Amino acid sequence: MNLRVIGCNFRTAAVELREKLAFDDAKRERALLELSARYGCECVLLSTCNRVELTVAGGGEDFPFDTAMAAEFLGEIHGLYAADIRPLLYEHAKEAGVKHLARVTGSLDSLIVGEGQIAGQVKDAFEAARRLGTTGPLLNTLFHHTLRVAKRIRTETGIASGHVSVSSVAVDYVKQVFDTFHDKTVLIIGAGKMARLTLKHLQSLKPRQILVTNRSLSKAIEVADACGGMPVPWQELDDALAKADIALSTTGAPEPIMPRKRFVEKVQPKRHMGTLVVLDIAVPRDFDPAIHDGDRVCLFNIDDLMRIREQTIAQRQKYLAPAEAIVNAEVKKFTDEWNRRKSGPMIQQLRQEVDKVRAAVLEPLLGKLNGKLTPAEKESIEAAFRLFQNKLLHGPISALNDAGIEGESRRMLEAVQKLFGLKG
Amino acid sequence: MQNVTLACFGLSYLLALLLELARLKWPKPGLRTTGLILGGAGLFAHSWFLAVHQPSPATAYGALLAVAWVLGIFYLYGSLHHAKRAWAIFVLPFVLALVGLAFVLVSTDADAQSFALESGQRFWGAAHGILILLASVGVCVGAIASVMYLIQARRLRKKLNPLGGVKMLSLERLESMNRRAINAAFPLLSVGLLIGVLLLKSENVITPDWFSLKVLGTVGIWIVFLVLLYMRYAVHLPGRRLAMLTIFSLVLVVAVLIADHSFARRGESP
Repeated sequence: MNLRVIGCNFRTAAVELREKLAFDDAKRERALLELSARYGCECVLLSTCNRVELTVAGGGEDFPFDTAMAAEFLGEIHGLYAADIRPLLYEHAKEAGVKHLARVTGSLDSLIVGEGQIAGQVKDAFEAARRLGTTGPLLNTLFHHTLRVAKRIRTETGIASGHVSVSSVAVDYVKQVFDTFHDKTVLIIGAGKMARLTLKHLQSLKPRQILVTNRSLSKAIEVADACGGMPVPWQELDDALAKADIALSTTGAPEPIMPRKRFVEKVQPKRHMGTLVVLDIAVPRDFDPAIHDGDRVCLFNIDDLMRIREQTIAQRQKYLAPAEAIVNAEVKKFTDEWNRRKSGPMIQQLRQEVDKVRAAVLEPLLGKLNGKLTPAEKESIEAAFRLFQNKLLHGPISALNDAGIEGESRRMLEAVQKLFGLKG
Repeated sequence: MQNVTLACFGLSYLLALLLELARLKWPKPGLRTTGLILGGAGLFAHSWFLAVHQPSPATAYGALLAVAWVLGIFYLYGSLHHAKRAWAIFVLPFVLALVGLAFVLVSTDADAQSFALESGQRFWGAAHGILILLASVGVCVGAIASVMYLIQARRLRKKLNPLGGVKMLSLERLESMNRRAINAAFPLLSVGLLIGVLLLKSENVITPDWFSLKVLGTVGIWIVFLVLLYMRYAVHLPGRRLAMLTIFSLVLVVAVLIADHSFARRGESP
């Protein structure tokens, strides 16, 4: 199997360099066509924010594409010096390449182990290459197999369990308190980037109403317009909080905007029913943690959300060993099957040739003995010849299969071809 | 099938509960299916037992088994409907506790009590009994929801991993379940209690005992319900305190169910 995976990732290259090496769809298309035409190989190009990888296959046993050539090629495409790229690249060849792809797709090699995006990104990369016709028998089989391995890892281990983004953890907490959201009011306090990101997650719950408040009313209007919410003047924060079921706070205020005293005196008396969930993802914190009681008010600040995130990541580490075991078993399965497939036609030809020889020897013999043998005796002789043939071929066929596994298939194929006088 | 005993369905429920607990440690789908089959078998045996032996719901034994039977249905429905939640873990202990109490009481009063009502008042006696039993079921459901509420609120108070541990319903859902159960139980209890008072006041009742545990307890539950509704709708008491009050009312309900009935007298035929 002539396969190479060459690339760089978050471990080998800084984000500035990864940004320069990243491919958009148009650039990726051009690169794939160029690579395929120049080297006559199968190729797939994976480009995410954490890695850029070229998977190339084919071109014969002495296929020349290596790290130096990959650096030159990437430099040419991106207008960078190959010498700057070369030290960042790693190379995984043959079986190691199969394993690397499985680990990447199964999210074992990700910055956050178990994250769910990478399998989709690998699938997209493969589909893009397939549409351009730059994949062939090896990469088609390999990528289908790799995506199946990733699915096995996700379903058979707990590596993808839990959420690791702060916004998702926040929504998980909200769902512990509320069951329905069509009758809920979400209050956004502040208009920072984090607010918009978490709001996206909260919007997916389809709340009845979104209120937005900010010291600057114009910013509140801007955010409210973007999310279909209603701006509220900063002075009405207490009333807005009294109406809200979920509050998302992300101001840049140096002091807490809602000390316990203010909450107890100005907000609590106006609230009659239901729990208020406060997601305080501001640093420094906007809400006094003392208002949290897990009943009327559930307050989760950035530390709480990060702690759960860390717990989930730590939890996922436990599943690394079983996931690696799946990868190892599947890599072996793939390479064995691929090599068998490669020596398959030769084995078939060998069997056919020896069948012909057996028939050539057996037919005259049975002709000579015609009339002297009972049908049972005739059958016994035929069976004995078949047994002899099988025993004779057992060694060469096993050797062909084993040589395939050990990567010596070409030499073995040539040897068997010569020994048995087979056509190439 | 005549040999179906209390132990048969009690053990089935117990095994179903143990399997559910095991599922917390080993989340295999086979355990859930087996647990459901055992729970379903327990409920079937329970139904069969009630149909064959027909224990009077006016006796502590019969009342406990009847309430346990309705909760058994509640368990099975909830386990199927809330497949991803640890429903059985909260409902089955209540069912088992009621069956266990009935098991303890079986030899003391199951066969001994009869009723001192005239035949003309039987209908009202039955209506009184059914309404009180349904109210008791309501209190049990409210108490189950309350236990879950307290655990969920504790998890939120401690800010535990929202996706870790036992899978539970949201605070809002549990609070709503509790509220609906109490809202439904209160009118049932009120009417049941009123019928009971009128029956006791009627001259035909032999040895009316206004100060029996049964009567006082039922009035006590009614007052607790009234307090619960007042606290919820007028004072807006936090959910945790309402949950505790509901659990307290369950204790009263069980005490009332176990207590001797004012309409009953030992050793006499109706």
